[in-house]
Amino acid sequence: MSPAPVAAPDAVATVDASLAPERRDAVRYLLILLPAVLVLLALFVYPLLGIVERSAYTPKTGYTLEYYGQIWRVPVYLQVIGRTFRTSALVTLMCLALGYPLAYLLATLRPRVARLLMIVVVLPFFTSIIVRTYAWMVLLGRNGVVNQYLTRLGLTDTPLPLLYNQGGVLIGMTYVLLPYMVLTVYSVMRGIEPGLIRAAHSLGASRWQAFRRVFLPLSLPGIAGGTLLVFILSLGFFITPALMGGPSDVMIAMLIEREVEFTLNWSFASALAVILLVLTLIGFVGYNRIVRLERVFEARD
Amino acid sequence: MTDRSEEHGGRPALGAGGGSGARFTRRTWLMGAAAAAATATGPFVWTRRAGAAGKVVIRTIGGAYEEANVKAIFEPFAKATGIEVVKVPASLGKLLAMFEAGNIELDVVDAGELGLLSLNQKGALEKINYKAWKLTNPEDMDHRRDTMVADIYFSTVLAYNTEVFPTGKHPKSWAEFWDAKKFPGPRMLTDLAAGAIDVEFALLADGVPKDKLYPIDLDRAFKSLDRVRPSIRKFWDTGALSAQMLADKEVVLGSIWNGRLQAIADKGAPLAIEWNEAALQVQFWGIMKGAKNGDNAQRFIDFACQPQIQAAHAGFIPYGPTNRQAFKHIKADVAARLPSSPEHKPKAFLHNAQWWADNRSTVSERWSQWLLQKG
Repeated sequence: MSPAPVAAPDAVATVDASLAPERRDAVRYLLILLPAVLVLLALFVYPLLGIVERSAYTPKTGYTLEYYGQIWRVPVYLQVIGRTFRTSALVTLMCLALGYPLAYLLATLRPRVARLLMIVVVLPFFTSIIVRTYAWMVLLGRNGVVNQYLTRLGLTDTPLPLLYNQGGVLIGMTYVLLPYMVLTVYSVMRGIEPGLIRAAHSLGASRWQAFRRVFLPLSLPGIAGGTLLVFILSLGFFITPALMGGPSDVMIAMLIEREVEFTLNWSFASALAVILLVLTLIGFVGYNRIVRLERVFEARD
Repeated sequence: MTDRSEEHGGRPALGAGGGSGARFTRRTWLMGAAAAAATATGPFVWTRRAGAAGKVVIRTIGGAYEEANVKAIFEPFAKATGIEVVKVPASLGKLLAMFEAGNIELDVVDAGELGLLSLNQKGALEKINYKAWKLTNPEDMDHRRDTMVADIYFSTVLAYNTEVFPTGKHPKSWAEFWDAKKFPGPRMLTDLAAGAIDVEFALLADGVPKDKLYPIDLDRAFKSLDRVRPSIRKFWDTGALSAQMLADKEVVLGSIWNGRLQAIADKGAPLAIEWNEAALQVQFWGIMKGAKNGDNAQRFIDFACQPQIQAAHAGFIPYGPTNRQAFKHIKADVAARLPSSPEHKPKAFLHNAQWWADNRSTVSERWSQWLLQKG
């Protein structure tokens, strides 16, 4: 006779007892989430479905894949999407390279100083993106502040082309998106237990070793979240590239806007938007497999 | 705001004290929140009296052009009729969306020819009731059509920096603008996001006569653009940017809307206009079909087209009147700055908005291809 039948009812009873309050919690969470879900459904999912429908339907011809065919047939659209992804990746890397050290500094400073610096990081959000972009144009122009100083210091004879090229786009976009990276990484770094670093030191690790083997791995969720956020925001950018880019710095959002406002081909605009969305989602899923995003967003105890 | 005239209001560059409002509205359709905010704060009621005469809601563009409208038309109209004028910013896309949704929030549209042609094509415009006009003689109006009537002339002109090219030694045609050896220096032309690209100028530069421009030979135009591209620093997409680039000496030559150029030149920038081969364009009044204040809208347009009103408007901003009687009321020094003055009009060619309306998808695709293949 095996002991299992005897043990089983017991185990079931234990599980039941522990599940009951959890189920009550689940219902409670659902109720809390309900308004947000409804808002999202009504204001986001429903219009999005409208866009999907518009991309494959016209009152004249009924359902059609013509617009997707056009994207496939005319190379320029996929080229622009390719450029958009490349630019976004570069911007993301630049934000990470600049944002990680800054977040590290903020996380290691005394809270009061850190709060002050944090205000500096967040301050740009209080101004319109256009004003900020124009400010950069004043700085980077041919006769702008930067070039004037460089010429005066004798570092260059002819003004450097800092604006109206891809470099200008990268500078402008990195500047606008940097706070998103800093805030995301910082929030994760703040949660890292300082005792763990001290423990590493007490076990003989150098500062670098403690950082590389303890702090850096623990801050990875912040890097994952920050890069994802910056990358996805970059994909939809268009004011900055339109103002600071050169003739060939075309981003997909600029083409979508043109289809909406100029050619008035809303079906084609929708098809472009859907392609962008699908590619972004594919990227998101692939990324999620590598870095397991749920860890980024899970609640810390 | 899509077509080139809609944002051409001559608002000075940001640095010169202008706002960024118009550009922002133009862009915000993507940013739901910002757009919602703009709508919430948008309608700006400037008269306090909301009498029994009701109101009329007018789509406006912002900047110096809107100020001129307020002073020369809106205020006198409200005073004369007691009808309250409400100003609302809206892009062409938004106007069409309103029409599709059957929720027409505004009555009168003031927009470039291409914009109104688009609305008209979709059946979104009401007929203008010329028979009921009491103040203006419809026979005096240029470009009078069933659903739209011209309100101003403006031009896309060749502008040059007078420090680099003293007047007289400056490029006097688009062929000379194209000649980077004789006239060296960075240049700018128009991007499609501003409503049209300068294919007409490209053809003129290539030797096509003014009266043979349409239908545009796009192959020839793009080949001509190939030649000028190395000296093009930027294709500008908003009036504000074009003014800024000339004012900051980012470029020393460029195509620009005459009102924009005048605004910065009047502020002291060393810039001047070559009127030869300017692209003369027309801006129109229209009434949205299903407008809630349709009768007031009809009265408003009648009022706005009067010669004296148009003459006063030209004094505030250098855009030309479309009422043929208006020049009688305009002083010589004001008239000399207008794109439709007897001196300037013969030098210009009339931009053919119908060609643009019929070919915009083709142009859009060709433009994207051309931008990428050379980059």
